[in-house]
Amino acid sequence: MDYQLMYDITPLLLKAAWVTLKVSFWSFWLGLIVSSILVATRLSGILPLVWLSRVYVSFIRGTPFFVQILVMYYGTPAFGIELDAYNAGIIAIGFNIGAYMSEAMRGSILAVDHGQNEAARSLGFSRFSTFLYVVLPQAAGLMIRSVGVLTVIMIKGSSLVSIISVVELTYQAQRIIGSTYKPLEVFTVAAVFYLIIIYGVRYIIDWSYDHYTRYLH
Amino acid sequence: MKLNFVPVLSYFDSLLAGLWWTIVLAVSAGIICVFGGILIATFINYTNRIVSAPLRFFIWLFMGTPLLLQLWLLYHGWAQLNILLPAMFIGIFGLGLHYAAYNADVYRAALQTISHGQYEAARSLGFGHLRTIFLIIIPQAMYRSIPQFGNNLIIMVKDTSILSIIGISEMVLAAQYAISVTYRPFEFYITVALIFYAINLILESLLNLYEKKSAIKL
Repeated sequence: MDYQLMYDITPLLLKAAWVTLKVSFWSFWLGLIVSSILVATRLSGILPLVWLSRVYVSFIRGTPFFVQILVMYYGTPAFGIELDAYNAGIIAIGFNIGAYMSEAMRGSILAVDHGQNEAARSLGFSRFSTFLYVVLPQAAGLMIRSVGVLTVIMIKGSSLVSIISVVELTYQAQRIIGSTYKPLEVFTVAAVFYLIIIYGVRYIIDWSYDHYTRYLH
Repeated sequence: MKLNFVPVLSYFDSLLAGLWWTIVLAVSAGIICVFGGILIATFINYTNRIVSAPLRFFIWLFMGTPLLLQLWLLYHGWAQLNILLPAMFIGIFGLGLHYAAYNADVYRAALQTISHGQYEAARSLGFGHLRTIFLIIIPQAMYRSIPQFGNNLIIMVKDTSILSIIGISEMVLAAQYAISVTYRPFEFYITVALIFYAINLILESLLNLYEKKSAIKL
């Protein structure tokens, strides 16, 4: 092992880890927006919208994420949409994770006992405020867990945007290997960064779950 | 720009050849990930700390880093140690071991749900320690974790597409060759996506069928 090299490349990989975090951050929010729209259409009860949402979710979950990134980057110019790699990566991840999140969120909402809904309605809450003030706060605890697990998977999946040359952790590691040819050292440092990010995020999720549900049991 | 699917038809043969390799990869990595997962979880649960600690570390490491990074490391890392392995071998083992870590996690949870009374009952009926584990506990836990194994398998089949980056000529790489000649990225990639979608629907319906049947049996 060449420890000097490992020390030398740490600043470079730290910068790349920051890009990984940025990509994950923005695609997380995009994913939340996409999944909220999907859940709303799915639970709206308007049949064409329900079908549209179901087809979208099933197609995204049934095709490889890798191919989705390739379509988003190399395929969109066929429709006159030119995206740079960074934005194409974020959009591809966001649209992908949105489909998974929508299923997780829908599951959490449906897991809330239906009696809660009926009780609130009979007390005079409108449909919308029943959802907002009664169902959603109870579903949110479950959501933190399931969406959190998906977020961790998403951060790992963000390494795939390296194939469309977004300079994040995996891509930077490959680039350094191209000039030094010391894969074991470089990938070890990159793996340490990933482990810190992923187990850090997992800690934050567990903490927010415990914090949110602290009065529930 | 108009879409034109004629080139896809003329290269459909090479896509099908790629599909064959996708299936080969999926089946062999699938076998490794299921049995590897069971083996790892069994060793963690039933051996002392000297054996189980490295295996726990393996799960922790493989679940905490991306598959792509692991594949690159296996692909270039062995070469740095002057051990040259075929890409196919690395692809199958990289993918299989990655999901073996996930399956081991699933299987450990299933082992914990088997009531301890099962162990005691078997021992009092005269089974030895090993025979109890292999004939009583493991089959029950296996039965309970099959739905989760199936889910992981579906995810794994989609991830075989990543193996194109280490030069295994499965469907995505076949599409990329065709694209470099025809320059029709959208048409080829969407076709590949649809083929994967079809595979997925088949696997999903098989899994649902299995779950329905096993629900009757329970």
